Amino acid sequence: MRNYLRQIGTILWKDLLVEFRTRERLITMGAFVVLVAILFNYAIDWVRVSPEDIASGLVWMTIMFAGLLGVGRTFHLEAEDGAFQGILLSPVPKDAIFLAKALANFVFLYIVALLVVAVFMFFFGLEVSRNFGMLAIVIGLGVLAFVALGTLFTAVSTGTRMGDTLLPVLIFPLLAPVVIYGTGATSQFLAGRPLTEAEGSIKMLAAIALMAFFLGSLLFRFVVED
Amino acid sequence: MSSKKILLAGTVLAMIGLVWLGAVYWMSFFWVSTEVTQGIAQRIMYVHVPAAWTSFLAFGLAALFSAVYLWLRDERLDRAAVSAAEGGMVFATIMLTTGPLWGKIAWGTYWTWEPRLTLTLLLWFIFLGYFLVRSSTENPERGKRHAAVVAIVGALDIPFIHLSVIWFRSLHPEPVVIKAEGPTLPGDMLTTLLMSFGAFTVLFLGLFLLRYSLENLRSELDTRSRHASV
Amino acid sequence: MWPGTQDWGGWLTSVSVPVHREADEKAPPVLQAQGLVREYGSVIAVDEIDLSLARGEFLTIFGPNGAGKTSLLALLAGALRPSRGQVWLRGEPLDFGEVEWRRRIGVLSHQGFLYGHLSAEENLRFYGQLFGLSDVDNVVRDKLQHLGLQERAASLVRDLSHGMRQRLALARALLHDPDIVLLDEPYTGLDPSAALVLQGVLSDLRDGRRTVVMVTHNLSEGVALATTVAIMNRGRFVWQGKRAELEGDFGQFYHSVIEGHG
Repeated sequence: MRNYLRQIGTILWKDLLVEFRTRERLITMGAFVVLVAILFNYAIDWVRVSPEDIASGLVWMTIMFAGLLGVGRTFHLEAEDGAFQGILLSPVPKDAIFLAKALANFVFLYIVALLVVAVFMFFFGLEVSRNFGMLAIVIGLGVLAFVALGTLFTAVSTGTRMGDTLLPVLIFPLLAPVVIYGTGATSQFLAGRPLTEAEGSIKMLAAIALMAFFLGSLLFRFVVED
Repeated sequence: MSSKKILLAGTVLAMIGLVWLGAVYWMSFFWVSTEVTQGIAQRIMYVHVPAAWTSFLAFGLAALFSAVYLWLRDERLDRAAVSAAEGGMVFATIMLTTGPLWGKIAWGTYWTWEPRLTLTLLLWFIFLGYFLVRSSTENPERGKRHAAVVAIVGALDIPFIHLSVIWFRSLHPEPVVIKAEGPTLPGDMLTTLLMSFGAFTVLFLGLFLLRYSLENLRSELDTRSRHASV
Repeated sequence: MWPGTQDWGGWLTSVSVPVHREADEKAPPVLQAQGLVREYGSVIAVDEIDLSLARGEFLTIFGPNGAGKTSLLALLAGALRPSRGQVWLRGEPLDFGEVEWRRRIGVLSHQGFLYGHLSAEENLRFYGQLFGLSDVDNVVRDKLQHLGLQERAASLVRDLSHGMRQRLALARALLHDPDIVLLDEPYTGLDPSAALVLQGVLSDLRDGRRTVVMVTHNLSEGVALATTVAIMNRGRFVWQGKRAELEGDFGQFYHSVIEGHG
């Protein structure tokens, strides 16, 4: 068990270190998020709608699209020089590889998701301070579900001729409940409704994230074996 | 069962299903009484609801066969999975085309975010992914494995999609529509609906077996041409 | 004569191969395969391969491109699932769910399995930790020194020359001191100095306690190192025998076998 956790930690640390040196994914995702927000400013008539009414949907969809950008590149660095084959040939269980890659994706996407919230505060004066802790939890659970499904299906789409373009077709239908419960809970927080109202949504998001991680660790071995 | 027997069983079931379906059409056009509030359009229900049920049955079977395929790696299980999934696509498409037709006449709008309609639409896309994954890998064996993963995750995600679209509906209520289903149906409507359920199920099973024996023949042809070329 | 020269006229006499005999002849073969078949759809890459290698044996596999050599190596490494047939390691059937046996196998291919954005030392440390080595620091330092890389330990792999990378790839493959070593065309793209280092390392591998399988196009060096030679074409071993059974010019022999079969 300790060895298992150490292997997960080793791969996770390697991913974070490589990202820290290249900054490839964080920069593209971060730039995407800010640019989308700038375009939203011109696409939406902010005089007629208040940010609290519309922000939850925009925040979640921005996270989803930014996530596609980042998660889609999960295995690109490994593809260079066959390094992923090197990991597969080492005595690391496949579920440990999955968990490490998904957790690395979680770190990147969660940073970007918090950036999305910050950008909406900064540009559109979105008021989140009241329930910020709960909002961070809800977004965290949604991002967990996203990275689990995203990591599994990126491994699937990387093996096809279509590559990353197939990824949204595979994961968006599966992520419908994440968007529904995520935006539901978020708009309740933004409207200043009592926290108990969002309890059901939070539980569902947690259940979806749990199921996604369970299925990912169970099925990843069938995706990467050859 | 030998492949000849499967082919025979498939043909017989499909024939029975077609005749039975003819009877259902006759019943729904000429025998069953017209629903008072929605009028004639409500008769679409006798196609729409059984098609939905059949597509769910088919996708469920596809996921089940896929899971056992990953476990046992028997090619026949993969053939069964893809045959069921294709049937599911056909019946889901029927459900998704009859739904808006009925909706336009009954509620004046083509699309409503009715939970079952939404769920079927998302399922349709999940299995679109299933077929895209299968057909776009260089190594067919990998395509089968990857597609099986898509089917399994899709099937296990369905309860969450189902609960979430119902919950969404409760947050954003639309104009109340007539619930024309369930056991509150008058006797002759219920009879017609149940008959239709039977016809669709038998027809699906027949088509499934025919499709499955076609897959068997294809792989046999493949093996034979390979041996011939060596 | 090493390296890179294509003069293999004197290959039979120039190198003496130590022949190691197992003390216990009844010990199961270290690496064994039976009826190994791998298909990609309708293409058969590996077709009914049987092999059995004892401790200390060095098998070199030659064959034209597309003969299935790399697929066979991947099957033996447990990186590829056989369509039919079975691989055994010391009499134990190779189980895909279990990963412990990977600690005993080292794989070197023409790809280095290295991360360009990590330093030489970080790469080795990363793999050392994945293999659960107890003394990663010392092992990594020793390996770097052994391959003359200690000066460049902190350089990112992307900044290393091709030859340096190859050395590092060798260090990576042998980091965990595997007793089964699988080499997939290790000479591809090597400059003379890197080939020399490789030559030395490969000779060291013939220490009698390791079992080596090498796939290569390099006829002279492949034969010089081997205890057993196999020629593969269209997924099958079309010739297989002890190196000592070979007589005369191996190049001519190789071509006659391939053409005779084709």
